[in-house]
Amino acid sequence: MSNRDIYLEALEFGKKTGADHVEVFFNKSKTLEVVIEKNDLQVPKGDKYQGIGVRIFKNGKIGFASTNLLTTESIQETVRSALDLAENSPADPDQGLPEPMPLKEVEGIFDPRGESVVLADLINKGNEFMEQTRGTDSRVTIDTASFKAEIIERAIVNTRGIQAEEKKTKFESVAMGFARDGEDVSSFDLEYLVTPEWEKLKTGEIGERLRKKVVGNLGAETIPGFKGSVILSPFAAVMLLFSPIVFGVNADNVQNGISPWREKMGQKVSSEFLSIEDDGSLPGEIGSKMFDREGISPQRLEVISNGKLNAWLHNYYTASKAGEKPTGHASGGDQSLPGIGPNNFIIKPGQESLDEIINSIDRGLIVTRYSGGSDPVSGDFSGVVKGGYLIEKGKDLKPVKEVMIAGNVYKLLHQLLALSNETQRVMNFNSPYVAIEGVSVTGK
Amino acid sequence: MLRTLKKIVHGQDEHLEIRYHKRFSTVIQFKNGILKKGERKTLAGVGIRALVDGCWGFVSTSDTDEDSLRKAAEEAVKAAREAANLKKEKIKGLGEGDAGQGKFYLYQKDEQEPEFGEKVVSLQKADGKIRDAGEDIIGSMVNYHVFQDTKVIVTSSGAEAEIFDQKSEIGIVAFGAQDGKQEMAVVSHGVTGGWKDLFAREALDKMTERVVEIVRTKLKAGYARGGDYTVILDPRLVGVLAHEAIGHTVEADFVLSGSVVADKIGEKVASDLITLIDDGTEKGVGKVIVDDEGTVSRPTVIIENGVLKNYLHSRETAHMFATEPRGNARAYTYRDEPLIRMTNTFIKPGKDKLEDMIKGIDDGFLLVGMDQGGQADATGEFMFGVQEGYRIKNGEIKEPVKGINISGQAFEVLKSADALSSEFKLDLGAGYCGKMQPAKADAGGPYLRCRVKIGGQKGEEEQDE
Repeated sequence: MSNRDIYLEALEFGKKTGADHVEVFFNKSKTLEVVIEKNDLQVPKGDKYQGIGVRIFKNGKIGFASTNLLTTESIQETVRSALDLAENSPADPDQGLPEPMPLKEVEGIFDPRGESVVLADLINKGNEFMEQTRGTDSRVTIDTASFKAEIIERAIVNTRGIQAEEKKTKFESVAMGFARDGEDVSSFDLEYLVTPEWEKLKTGEIGERLRKKVVGNLGAETIPGFKGSVILSPFAAVMLLFSPIVFGVNADNVQNGISPWREKMGQKVSSEFLSIEDDGSLPGEIGSKMFDREGISPQRLEVISNGKLNAWLHNYYTASKAGEKPTGHASGGDQSLPGIGPNNFIIKPGQESLDEIINSIDRGLIVTRYSGGSDPVSGDFSGVVKGGYLIEKGKDLKPVKEVMIAGNVYKLLHQLLALSNETQRVMNFNSPYVAIEGVSVTGK
Repeated sequence: MLRTLKKIVHGQDEHLEIRYHKRFSTVIQFKNGILKKGERKTLAGVGIRALVDGCWGFVSTSDTDEDSLRKAAEEAVKAAREAANLKKEKIKGLGEGDAGQGKFYLYQKDEQEPEFGEKVVSLQKADGKIRDAGEDIIGSMVNYHVFQDTKVIVTSSGAEAEIFDQKSEIGIVAFGAQDGKQEMAVVSHGVTGGWKDLFAREALDKMTERVVEIVRTKLKAGYARGGDYTVILDPRLVGVLAHEAIGHTVEADFVLSGSVVADKIGEKVASDLITLIDDGTEKGVGKVIVDDEGTVSRPTVIIENGVLKNYLHSRETAHMFATEPRGNARAYTYRDEPLIRMTNTFIKPGKDKLEDMIKGIDDGFLLVGMDQGGQADATGEFMFGVQEGYRIKNGEIKEPVKGINISGQAFEVLKSADALSSEFKLDLGAGYCGKMQPAKADAGGPYLRCRVKIGGQKGEEEQDE
């Protein structure tokens, strides 16, 4: 059966059961993965998957069921199951399905080369990575490195007339390691890459970057604590600053009263030069898509403009509840009800280069990676700095260890010092280096 | 399915493990009176692992007809063969346990589950009851999850097992506010079994009353002053310590990468009073019977009267350590490969009475239940949040305190243990253990008296003011 046969069979059967409305989300994927652990190759893996998720609406009530057993019998059982859930659930007047809208195909999110990638190709990628790390410098230890190739097909159809299908590729590398020279052990560091283009998965270069980072961190010394400027790498900035922002602008969290920004629309939430937009229509970006989990075209949203909170991320439910238009941020797949998530969360870069920012700082800390918690409700965080470098008089980068930073994310957003003009993609975020002043650094 | 899987295993010359796994799950979530989730999911497929030239290859698929499975088996063999060219440390053999044969039921299969609609009504009522408790209760949440598993496992080593399992869990949350302060409390349970087993642990009405009571206590409580104290940990905290801070360090894959107990078998690592067991045959939510490599579960004595006796193994590591696997190789879904996991991990009870244990403390705390957060690493260093804390002064329970976290080195804490209650519970609640993939695990023990460091960001902040 073709993809189309499967989801249309579920939709047609849904109509026959007497449902008011039916939605079917279809997902199919082929994944290959090679993992290196403790400097050695681990179990190579292959996975093939296809499944559907069915939402049934009846008398203002909703039911959801999913299956990856795609025989006619199982599809019908799943639809009946969703109907049964709908009939036995309390009504919620804000539940509903969107109408069709014009959808635009996104360029550069499917690489046909992905079809012919086999495990042996990924094992080669792993080999190139090992040559550039441990093969070049035996002081480097690879804790975990994973190389993954995925082809994803997704489709949505509903009884309001939405019907769309899309194919994407995703190539991902996550590599973690450290360097050891006698008794001297560097902190763990990480290199991350995700791209829809096979040719861009350059694992040799990833290995080289990781090797330089961890070897550069050898000879780290403890420092006394201070209050001063901190430069977060794009990776650390996403973990520490931008993930809580995504939590704060999620309309569901706003409506549930747990977003700390629930009453801040139109107000200043950060320093003036911070602007963030979310854009799911950018060519060649990993978070780009023609339609979201509910079949809505992702809107380009100015989430924060010049420090002012400007927009929430909505799915159809939260938009209806707020009396607004959905923004195309329904997230999730076939195995669960739609949630809310960013598409491509882009932090606007600044004017200065990273070097210029470093030069402007008298005493500060560069944080390559942050390991610890951050509570998105209160904004409080405290955690350990990995791959930390002390800046003195604008230069003299010295590796440091046993350093912690702590504070409150929502306060720090008002203390931004600069954003670099160079940016990096971290998952579906694109972030510059972020310099913040007045951060408490705990040393030893 | 058993016949198809046997045909494929016997049609291959290489070592194969085939595992069909069908999971049927139901999720119900209420938040502030609104049904946020009513989901029923079927996830089924086959995971195939091949061992060729000392290297594994793993392929999973949701196409389960014979032709697709034969192809998948060939792909797994090919993957292993290709990887073997690059792998340095080759697998030299697999430990031999009892290969599971026959049908295995982990729960009472005759027990009827209530209909979805009945469950929704009960859970909605519970959610409402929390918010109706008073104006100081500003929010509520109820999460319920049940899954039924059917597995068929066939291996080249002779396992031919059909396994039927069911795990249920519930967590209810109350958010309270008073004088500008906000607090939350959680009450949760998890069992191997169905709806009836779940609420046999504690009735839903009782859970809602208790969660409100805890959040109100927290709203009124002050902070504790940090420092080293003699405390009594309740069975859930003892379970968290046994699982998170001790259990992971004795998983043989962590031992191989240099955990704190590497090379310590036969050494004294805890007080004489401590005997620590991992046992998949126990009744907790971590019950296994036959693991995902087809090995029949048997209890493992990890620590006996303070002496480290055994690690936890897969077949691969059991062979490396010249011992037998005991049912600790577990996979969460058919798409996951088996990893070394705990099952039900617990400290055996002692002979003391809780009141006597309290009487023996001049200045300390009774600590109950786990709060948000916590971490432990391969060195045995840990930090856990505590949900309820009560001051003990001169052998008597005094005022409640909040914002407590406990930290220390787990083996040092166990060396300081000087009293264990005869009362015992396996009670990790509704949580999952995470290690590349989730697993349902249980843990527990008696009330245990020991020394820990009490700290807390909140406590320090207040002292600063």
